[in-house]
Amino acid sequence: MQNFISGIAGFFTRLKSIHPLLPWGIALVVLLPLPQFTVNNYQVYLINFICIMIILATGLNIVKGFAGQVTVGHVALYAIGAYTSAVLSTKFGMPFYVNLPVSILAAMIAGVLVGIPSFRLEGAYLALATLAFAQAVEVYIRVTNYLGAASGIGGIKAPEFFGYSLRKYDDYFYLVMPIMLAAVYASFAILRSATGRAFMAVREDPISAASMGINVRRYKLIAFVMSAFYAGLAGSLYAHMLPGYVHPNNFTVIEMVTVLLMVVLGGIGNIWGGVIGAIIVTIVADITREYYFYQLLLFGAVIVGTVLFMPKGIGGIIDRYFVNRRFIAAREETAEVKRGIVGGSPDESSG
Amino acid sequence: MLVDFLVVGVSIGLVYAIVALGISLIYSGLDIVHFAHGEFVMFGAFFGLVLVNDSGLNYPISIFLAMIFAGLMGVVVERVFYRRLTSKGGGYTVAGMGMIICGFGMAIILQNIAFLIWGAEGHAINVDFGTPMKIGTVNLPKSYLWILCVSVGLMAILHLFLKNTKAGLAIRAVAANKDIAYLMGINVPLMISLIFGLACGLAAVGGVLIGPINYVQVEMGYLILIKGFAAAVVGGFGSLPGAILGGLMVGIFETLGAGYISGSHKDIYAFLLLIAVLVIMPTGLFGQLAKSKA
Amino acid sequence: MKKTLTCLVVAGLLASGSSWAGEIRIGATMRMISENGQKYGQMMQDEFDAINARGGINGNTVELILLNDECKSDKGVANANKFAYQDNVHLIIGSTCSSVSLPIVDVTAQAEVPQIIPHSTNDQITKKDSAWVFRVPISARYYKGVVAKYLHDKVGDQVAYVYASDAAAMSETQGIIQQMRDVYGVEPVYEAQTQEKEIDFRSHLLKIKDLEPDAIYFGGLQEPIARFLVQSYEVGIPASVVRAASSAASNAPVPKLAGDAVQGVFFSAAYSDSDTRPIAQLFNSYVRNRYGIGGVDHDFSQAYDLIRIVEIALGNADLSLEDDDLAADRTAIRDAIANVQGYEGLASGPISFCADSTPQCRDGNRTPVLIQYIEGGEDFKVGILDRVTMPIEFGL
Repeated sequence: MQNFISGIAGFFTRLKSIHPLLPWGIALVVLLPLPQFTVNNYQVYLINFICIMIILATGLNIVKGFAGQVTVGHVALYAIGAYTSAVLSTKFGMPFYVNLPVSILAAMIAGVLVGIPSFRLEGAYLALATLAFAQAVEVYIRVTNYLGAASGIGGIKAPEFFGYSLRKYDDYFYLVMPIMLAAVYASFAILRSATGRAFMAVREDPISAASMGINVRRYKLIAFVMSAFYAGLAGSLYAHMLPGYVHPNNFTVIEMVTVLLMVVLGGIGNIWGGVIGAIIVTIVADITREYYFYQLLLFGAVIVGTVLFMPKGIGGIIDRYFVNRRFIAAREETAEVKRGIVGGSPDESSG
Repeated sequence: MLVDFLVVGVSIGLVYAIVALGISLIYSGLDIVHFAHGEFVMFGAFFGLVLVNDSGLNYPISIFLAMIFAGLMGVVVERVFYRRLTSKGGGYTVAGMGMIICGFGMAIILQNIAFLIWGAEGHAINVDFGTPMKIGTVNLPKSYLWILCVSVGLMAILHLFLKNTKAGLAIRAVAANKDIAYLMGINVPLMISLIFGLACGLAAVGGVLIGPINYVQVEMGYLILIKGFAAAVVGGFGSLPGAILGGLMVGIFETLGAGYISGSHKDIYAFLLLIAVLVIMPTGLFGQLAKSKA
Repeated sequence: MKKTLTCLVVAGLLASGSSWAGEIRIGATMRMISENGQKYGQMMQDEFDAINARGGINGNTVELILLNDECKSDKGVANANKFAYQDNVHLIIGSTCSSVSLPIVDVTAQAEVPQIIPHSTNDQITKKDSAWVFRVPISARYYKGVVAKYLHDKVGDQVAYVYASDAAAMSETQGIIQQMRDVYGVEPVYEAQTQEKEIDFRSHLLKIKDLEPDAIYFGGLQEPIARFLVQSYEVGIPASVVRAASSAASNAPVPKLAGDAVQGVFFSAAYSDSDTRPIAQLFNSYVRNRYGIGGVDHDFSQAYDLIRIVEIALGNADLSLEDDDLAADRTAIRDAIANVQGYEGLASGPISFCADSTPQCRDGNRTPVLIQYIEGGEDFKVGILDRVTMPIEFGL
């Protein structure tokens, strides 16, 4: 098993050395026929939902994992994205390709609002400020008749491309899955860029980051806006999926905790961990659907258990494993090089 | 009209205040924000319900017993679960982030345990307070007088305890700096348990006090908790008189907002106040400078 | 990426569908963790078990799959999808919450599974032009007519409205406001929304008191109703102001929690605890003994009626129950439910469906009862003010 995994990892590294986008292209091709392999439509629905959750969790990972900002307001941004799409689609009859960018933009503007308190607040205070923001958004939606209030907004049109409507879950998969892959790829790109390194510097120590010439406020804000981009994207995709219905009950603190759990279970700051967390949480929630009296209890127990016994999450375990492997490989490599040098030098001297 | 609104605001504000008191106490002692605190309010209310309705004890004794039970429960929860996190450092560290999530998880667990025990139905604690008083044109039930007296009394006792006893001094030392307190020979783990137990006991008192007015139900914790947070932040985290004042301010602010601006948006005002206070005056009205921990 | 795939494959294996012939599968999605949801669920389970014990329906046993949707639409939609595509059920019951029933209608219409609704009142549910949805309870469009007429004729036009932000209460209350405006030309003297679990209504009530209305109307869940009624006396609104509430006021916790404050409150519902018909008396004592409910409300009676209607329809439908004939069986069940005419059960009036996908055909019950509390407390008393059968076109 260990050899198998490291073999795959090695394979991907080699692919990457051919072209950095190659593994992603292969992943796309591998995932494309997935709806054909599923037993029924419900599983396709679940996969679509998982894709949306992955986008949401990846977005939260940017602000929480990379930049270390404790936000509890991510679901509010998701709600803003979903409701912008819902209003544009039902009240103005706009098509999907207009709604998606506008929703993302709306979420990003809201992201600036959530990000500003982070200039002065840290840790618990920031968590409370963002929680208050999320609550205010939820309450506002609940009492505003234009936004459907407690009846929700229904009848959001499925995306239509060249006269072909993506009403079925099978069809919607071909929209959500590539977007999800692109989003995950983008978050890797961010992590590796100078911006990503600045995020981590801000996370580790804002003061030393500032002394290194990093504009801490600017990067905090960028992190919030980037995560808002992801939340808006996920919200818009959620709103347009059959049955095209949004309701404030789907954007409460429980949903927030669910997304938090995905990130924590996967390992804060670990992108693959977040992806795996989203998959596991959604699937486990589905499997335990029939034990509804104990489902939430289990959910709470998993949260507490993860935080207590596995604070770095699944991603931490993977990381440790891979990092160790890489470390051993790297050590062997250097040893070889050294041996080469040691073995080579007499020759040189003799020559 | 204004007087009526003020009376109403003060009476609901007292409810928020008593929850904020516990939140503040935990924050000052452990540097954590306890997101499961609302569930201790709920458990306290259920203890009160069982004691008053089923065991037939009188109200003050029930309050006291519920406080003891919930306090013990809090101590157990803290020792078994939170201690692993808080021992790594509270507040702003990564463990502090874990603490927020852990608090949410604990809230869900406690709420569902309560559901399995008592079901989801709402209950009223049967206490006869006698006829309501008249203030202005508003009838104020005597239960609010109870809340006022008990919360102010508790605050006074707490203040005296913290200022005049050895244990109180130890608690203050732990709140100021755990490492130095440890070097001074204070039993820090014990003091942390004591702080947590006290705070959970306070929450339970809040629960029993509002039980006759707001009915006891498993989902009652969350809404009160959020308003309690708002109150604690407005008053200044970690300040006990600040918690009471913050509660009153949140209560009055939202009642006036509902009265004079828009009734439908009543619940938003408390959150706006919270955000405004945090952005303008991050330490709240009475808070000391935020302790910065690496 | 491989990890993702492995997880998905594992999920697929774990969740792969299973089905047996000779069994009628019914899926129910409801809010189970709530005041009475658990007990309705239990009652449904018990009733279907009793049917199976009697030898089933035409020799076929019924399997009920109960799921919880927590009144959240995404959970409800997931449940409905699971029922439709994975459990391959023949019939979906649900949901209890209007905000969940609304999106499920689209799911069942696409999957072509009959859906029968136990107690969602929102009038939009049957206006979606779906041939697959049936509603046993009374639509909000009938409720609003009865309540508005009573308010106008017997109480007065100056009415203040406060309602909680849940879909059922909102559609009932806004329906009444609109009816008062359109038919009688009166505007509400006060209108405000609150949160579902609001604890302090007194700022609203103080303002209402100042406006001196003829009546105050509150739409919401049972506990907030009780709280609202008690607090309306606290702020000093005199007893002469008539208090009215949405149909959730029929739920037993209201008089128990509110005590004397519930006196004189009227509401409109599909069933009343004080019903003197022998069948109703029998049902009351049955539910009381079995589920320990103080007062039997219309949610129980509607769940019971729904089961009887389902039993009748399944008895009339010609089912093969082979896996290959799933679509045909679903259509047969749909047509059988559509053929239910003049069912007389516990509900205040006969329940009839028909084949068109219009609200006229899909809203089964159109006889709301106006009920008034005479006495509050544990052993409360209610009286019937009026029983009106509304015209089928009403409120469209």
